Order: sequence, then structure tokens, then C-alpha cells
Amino acid sequence: MTRRPPISNRVRFYRLLADGMTQAELGEKVGVTRHTIIAIEQGAYSPSLETAFRIARLFGVGVEDIFGWEG
Amino acid sequence: MPFREKSAWGMGLLFLAITIWFIGATQPLNWRSGVAPPPAGPLMAVTLFSIIGSIVIQSILAGSSPREANAPADERERQLLTRASHLSGLVLGAGCISALFHYLVHRSGDTLFHIILLSLLISTVAEYALQIVYFRRGHG
Repeated sequence: MTRRPPISNRVRFYRLLADGMTQAELGEKVGVTRHTIIAIEQGAYSPSLETAFRIARLFGVGVEDIFGWEG
Repeated sequence: MPFREKSAWGMGLLFLAITIWFIGATQPLNWRSGVAPPPAGPLMAVTLFSIIGSIVIQSILAGSSPREANAPADERERQLLTRASHLSGLVLGAGCISALFHYLVHRSGDTLFHIILLSLLISTVAEYALQIVYFRRGHG
């Protein structure tokens, strides 16, 4: 059993808020694969700072509106 | 299933088959008295087979999903691949050190060759197996 990163996120919430954008569309817009978006939404993978900023900027919110520290 | 996981399955199975063949071809291994000289002909044939097999597997996979095949690995995939490569490198290193110690004690160049080649094959299989594990759980 591997430890999950102590970072929560609301990527799925903001993605669905953005006219139900698909995971593939979001991945393409921020430069990662659909599988990476799935892993981020499931909390299995914490994105790099650059990708976190790209996601936040795409949704027009701050990084801390999407990502939170749970540790 | 991501393209790179499919690729890892294909390549992993190919090299697993080659590893099983190699172990069978060099039986019985007698680590103390040494083994027979490396079978040069079959080894060259299996090397050619591994190259052609890799090209065929990659061509089939690329043909089934050309877009994914052409896309560079993203940050998560690069992390997974690097980690799998690092751990498989440790397997290879351990095998090489074992081979060198074996040579120091038994002075058998043939056995040295077999252990190093077997280590290379096992580390390759381990690399693809680790990639599959990491891809399935989502992170490295």
C-alpha cells in the first residue's frame, strides 16, 4: 500500500463547472495526458507547480482554490 | 489503458520470454565448476529476434493509437519511467557485482558472461514490470 500525497484538490468540481469539460480536454489544455488528470482527480498524483498553475489559470481561480494541504 | 502501459506489457512479455529461453538454454547452471561457453549462434539469433520483436510490437501499438504514440511523455509518465529505470538499474548493478565476485572466486569467464547477461535480462523485465505497477496505481 503506498501513501497518497497529502494534497486534496477540486479539479473535478471546477472541470464540471466549466461546461462539463472532459478529462481529455483539460489534459490537452494544460499539457498532460487524460490518465494524469484521472490520477490527479483521484488524489493518486500531485501535479507539478507548473501544471497546478496552468489548471488554476484555466479555470480563472487561484491555486489554493483548487489545491489544499491536508497534512 | 495508457499507451505506455500497453507498450510496457508488450515489451515486458517479449523480454520475459527471452529470459525464460536464456535460462532454459544455459541449463544446467553449475555455478561452481562453471557453465558451457555462451551459445554464440542462438544468442545472436535471439538478439535479432528481440530487435525485430520490439519493432513489431511498437509498430502495432503505434498503429492502433498513433496520437498517443507520437505524444511525448508528460510529467507523471516521466516520473514513473525514471523511477522504474532507477530501480531496474539497481537490479542490474547487483547482478554485475555478484558476477564480478563470482569471477574473483571461481575464475570462470563463461559464468561471468551468463550472470551479467541474465542480470541484464532480469533488470529489463523488472523495468517493464515496475512501469506496469506504477501506471496501474497512478504514480511512481
